[in-house]
Amino acid sequence: MNRKTVALAFAGASLIAITAAQAAEVTVWCWDPNFNVAIMKQAGEIYAKTHPDFKLNVVDFAKADLEQKLQTGLASGVADGMPDIVLIEDYGAQKYLQSFPDAFTPLSDKVDYSGFADYKVKLATLDGKVYSMPFDSGVAGLFYRKDMITAAGYTPADMQDLTWDKYVEIGKAVEAKTGKKMMGFDPNDGGLVRVLMQSAGGWYFDKDGKLSVEGNVALKGALDVIQKIQVNNIFRPAAGWADWVGSFTSGEVATVVTGVWITGTVKSQADQAGKWGVAPLPKLSVEGATHFSNLGGSSWYVLSGSKAKDESIDFLNEIYAKNIDFYQKILVDRGAVGSLLAARNGEAYKSNDAFFGGEPIWQNFSDWLAKVPSVNYGTFTNEVDSVVSAHQPDLAKGASVDDVIKAIDDQAKTLVQ
Amino acid sequence: MSAISTRPKRPRFDVNGWLFVGPALALIAIFMVFPILHSLWMSFQSGLGMRLSFAGLKNIYRLFNDPLFLMALTNTFIFFLVQVPVMLTLALITAALLNNPDIKFRGVLRTAIFLPCVTSLVAYTVLFKSMFVANGLVNTVLINLGIVNVGIPWMTDPFWCRVMIIIAITWRWTGYNMIFYLAAMQNIDRSVYEAARIDGVPTWARFVSLTVPMLKPVILFTTVTSTIGTLQLFDEVSTITGGGSAGGAAGPGNSALTLSLYIYNLTFKFAPNLGYAATVSYVIVLLVAILSFLQFYAARERKA
Repeated sequence: MNRKTVALAFAGASLIAITAAQAAEVTVWCWDPNFNVAIMKQAGEIYAKTHPDFKLNVVDFAKADLEQKLQTGLASGVADGMPDIVLIEDYGAQKYLQSFPDAFTPLSDKVDYSGFADYKVKLATLDGKVYSMPFDSGVAGLFYRKDMITAAGYTPADMQDLTWDKYVEIGKAVEAKTGKKMMGFDPNDGGLVRVLMQSAGGWYFDKDGKLSVEGNVALKGALDVIQKIQVNNIFRPAAGWADWVGSFTSGEVATVVTGVWITGTVKSQADQAGKWGVAPLPKLSVEGATHFSNLGGSSWYVLSGSKAKDESIDFLNEIYAKNIDFYQKILVDRGAVGSLLAARNGEAYKSNDAFFGGEPIWQNFSDWLAKVPSVNYGTFTNEVDSVVSAHQPDLAKGASVDDVIKAIDDQAKTLVQ
Repeated sequence: MSAISTRPKRPRFDVNGWLFVGPALALIAIFMVFPILHSLWMSFQSGLGMRLSFAGLKNIYRLFNDPLFLMALTNTFIFFLVQVPVMLTLALITAALLNNPDIKFRGVLRTAIFLPCVTSLVAYTVLFKSMFVANGLVNTVLINLGIVNVGIPWMTDPFWCRVMIIIAITWRWTGYNMIFYLAAMQNIDRSVYEAARIDGVPTWARFVSLTVPMLKPVILFTTVTSTIGTLQLFDEVSTITGGGSAGGAAGPGNSALTLSLYIYNLTFKFAPNLGYAATVSYVIVLLVAILSFLQFYAARERKA
């Protein structure tokens, strides 16, 4: 109602701000100082070499804070105080694009998307227009401790083409021989379900974005595995992110199933060098199952209200869509696997990693990246996810997977509207 | 009758008076009254983000068919019905104990019990979280003392998760309420107790029949503020269970999902439905109003 008057008042204030800052300064909001923030700063330095006027201001937030600030800002409809570029996790892309029409700038005219991983482009497409500059990939892998697996009587070769049933079997052997659990698992977090589900080409929604819970083969397969992991008690319970990270940095578990972005954290434990290996994901035993999936990953978006829109787009396009060297740099420095497929032809991607016993892990990850099944994340992933994670403890108590799916369906239906 | 009044008549509209309160009233109107009315209007709208449209009573209908809302409501009532009586009883007992002049180090003890409530909500919840994780301090101590054999599943069992939250809030707020009781107790005339002692009334009866009735206004006050506080419970559940973060449940089986956390999720975590979130927040308003009224009604002064 009063939005226009308020906007006018703010516009008056922002006029003063514009005259004060003549040189184009691009403000970026993102999270994780060791990853996104550091990488964006590197990108800014490279771009500034050819564009001396360019100034980049990278603001570091906690992810939840950023999302709250962004959502409040967009809902208020006031462009002032908003950044020019913002990082959005892929699961939330459609939520923002659909809830706040015209808040983001379509980049399809300026950016050549043919070089990017297909699923990254699709998830940021609305009504035929692409809104994102695809950034890091969350291509998933099975990180495992070679020493523990060997102690349990298996070889790294056994890990390459696993099924989840076999994985559980190895988990039991690992505990019997070493006393260690197979993985750290947070029953209040739905991340693993998403990894498993997408590996079989499924999601909470069908290709048209409609809720698909009952009769969803991939979801049923995923929950089956979640139940087996819990019932066989091959996991070390984790409460929250830090505790989960602690489960493998402290050497309490034999494997980690997650996105490639964890590589840096795994490598941070220098005393574990040479003990780790990376294999493709175990496979679900349902139709359409693959060894490849994704967890997380995010992309850059340019806001429509930005006063430095052209500079922002040109900056993103030049570095993130064209600069192959940049991708080598962030891979070596930060362990970031971008979604620009051409980047894998660079030197860094061909290097072998001594920490992982000389395995060509980067080449592997980028091979897997191209094979990740493309799914529709829809608008309501967070909603259904919170329902699914709330039901994971039921599976531990032995509730039948079908009953749990029925309960998830009932709750999800009211949330998805 | 009014003719008897000797007071000079004031004009109905006093310009000077209104000029003095005018600025304050204007600010209250802009920053209090308008948002309240606007949110009431929003509660009749529905849609994603900016795309709100009038929906009539659809949101209210949705409330009754929303299992997550009903769960949040149930959880909030569990916290409220269990935690408030436990905390206030504890506060009353500690206040009575610390009011005894024979106890040594009274000042130190009072400060120690009051101290939790000056700590930051987030700081203490983060601390509690690290204490209650599977192999955290609490479980380690319980196991080493031989009280339990296996660690208590604080973070993974709905029942224990609620117990943990209740322990946390009780730790944080007991001292706060105790201070009110202490202050009120020190206003009670000592001669009342003297007389009771001479009449041979035992200590516990003096507490139950003298102290408690004389504290009634303060007990009412603390009950109302604690009720409101518990109904708005947010920080603890959000931080300890991570229920505010994307993709997380609020405790096992959403056992720690409170109304405030649900409002937060509807607004900031889920695809934003500001209209429905406004409806849920009016549920809290309604609950606070009803419960406060009931408490005032129960504690009203009966004229003999």
